[in-house]
Amino acid sequence: MSDFDRRKFLKSAGAVAALGGLGVFGTGANRHAFAQTGAAKDLPRIIQKTIPSSGETIPAVGLGSWITFNVGNDIELRDQCADVMSAFFDAGGRMIDSSPMYGSAQDVIGYGLDKLGARDRVFSTDKVWTAGDGAEQIAETSDRWKVAEFDLLQVHNLLGINENLPLLFRMKDAGQLRYVGVTTSHGRRTEDLIAVMKNERLDFVQVTYNPIDRKVEDYLLPLAYDRGIAVIVNRPFRGGSLIERLAGQPLPEFARDLEAKSWAQLILKYLISHPAVTCPIPATTKPAHVVENMAAASGLLPDDKMREQIAGVIGVLI
Amino acid sequence: MSDWWSYGLADLLLFSPRVYYRLFETMNTTWWVVVISAFVAGLIASGFAMRHGHRGNRVILVLLSVIWAWMSYGFLWQYYRPINWAVPYLLPGFVLQAVLLAVFAARPLPLRFGWRGDLTSAIGVGFMVCAFLIYPFVGVLEGRELVQAELFGSAPDPTALGMLGFTLMARGTWRWLLLPVPLIWCVVSAATLWVMDQQIAVVMLTAVWVTIILRLA
Repeated sequence: MSDFDRRKFLKSAGAVAALGGLGVFGTGANRHAFAQTGAAKDLPRIIQKTIPSSGETIPAVGLGSWITFNVGNDIELRDQCADVMSAFFDAGGRMIDSSPMYGSAQDVIGYGLDKLGARDRVFSTDKVWTAGDGAEQIAETSDRWKVAEFDLLQVHNLLGINENLPLLFRMKDAGQLRYVGVTTSHGRRTEDLIAVMKNERLDFVQVTYNPIDRKVEDYLLPLAYDRGIAVIVNRPFRGGSLIERLAGQPLPEFARDLEAKSWAQLILKYLISHPAVTCPIPATTKPAHVVENMAAASGLLPDDKMREQIAGVIGVLI
Repeated sequence: MSDWWSYGLADLLLFSPRVYYRLFETMNTTWWVVVISAFVAGLIASGFAMRHGHRGNRVILVLLSVIWAWMSYGFLWQYYRPINWAVPYLLPGFVLQAVLLAVFAARPLPLRFGWRGDLTSAIGVGFMVCAFLIYPFVGVLEGRELVQAELFGSAPDPTALGMLGFTLMARGTWRWLLLPVPLIWCVVSAATLWVMDQQIAVVMLTAVWVTIILRLA
């Protein structure tokens, strides 16, 4: 995409955002009805984003599980993960993402859903990551989560894409799966991803995006926007290193205008405010951080000028 | 798997240092009798290995064989496998090491261990001292609790390091067959520790290079 096209895209995207095209505001899920706790009722309204292929809306911040939920059979740590999930649901969150690549994370999510009785509250998102039998792996994943059907399954890092993507589409056509997607991370295999996005009827794509890793803004995000593909953002904090590097640095003045009280919230607001982005999925081990992350999906969001300021400030500090 | 080239080292790290070191805490507290027994068995084996003579050679090999078998089941299978999908690929190596040690013990002329006053023996002793006395307590110096100590006999890093030391102290045909598994483990572990920002990765990698250089020299 040329610079002109990019500017035009951002301008129009900003206009869409300003007109409320980012989605609707609400506190709960619109597909799954569930009783909210008293605490959740007191929380600020969570920004909802629209999944273009269906019109369904989901909360604009999800929960990742890479590293943080791979705690093995350690009951104490499993309970801590369940606490994180509890805080996430209570704050209005729904999408939890995992992968067969993440060790015991799937089992731990299943444990948490059991403990919380929260299977009707989760937007279940996982991946198929094998060059072998994708159907067998999905069945194992289903056993670990203890869910019959997933909301979204994605081909992880495009592995076995020629076999696994048709499998996911067949599952969707058979009513065994609601959405189909593909993932990459660290900006790898971009050309392959673009080809898949152009040629397949994807519901979701998952990419790495944050104020430092912005390459996707040039072409991938506009393409997703044009093609009506929802975008999940992985590594919003670069695996936590962004927050570590920014720790101790004062927030810029304009953060107050956005009601951002931390670097994490500022970064998430930067991501959420992009009109092509549906849902960043930060991972954490602390319930307090979940609450902080979810709060970023409320209140004001930056416009184009502020977004550039955010990226500029963080770029200087990193 | 066809797309390994697209992964970086950091992508393959699946767990945090907090979770990794808690594995040792859980193992040490749950299996403390076995963990202490394995450590003492290692000390006995190292005591025999320092002596120059024929007595104790089979004892060393049998004790080390049992230690590698225990480590395969104990740490690798029970604790490490749930958080690392690569363990089933590494486990056969550990079992092979246990079998090799048993086979060496069963030979009519087993390997002969002993101090010979040369550089190879000196480095062998150095590796063993590091494995038994230094490695377990590095974590304490870094602020971790003593209960998370990685002990020779149950934790793979000091055991692999010590195994290199035992092998350098050994004489006899085919003794170098005992090197590949601990060397490979040291490399894998160094990579894991490196992406977890654990400085001790340098120790593991240094041990690999020193052993290879001694073998080639």
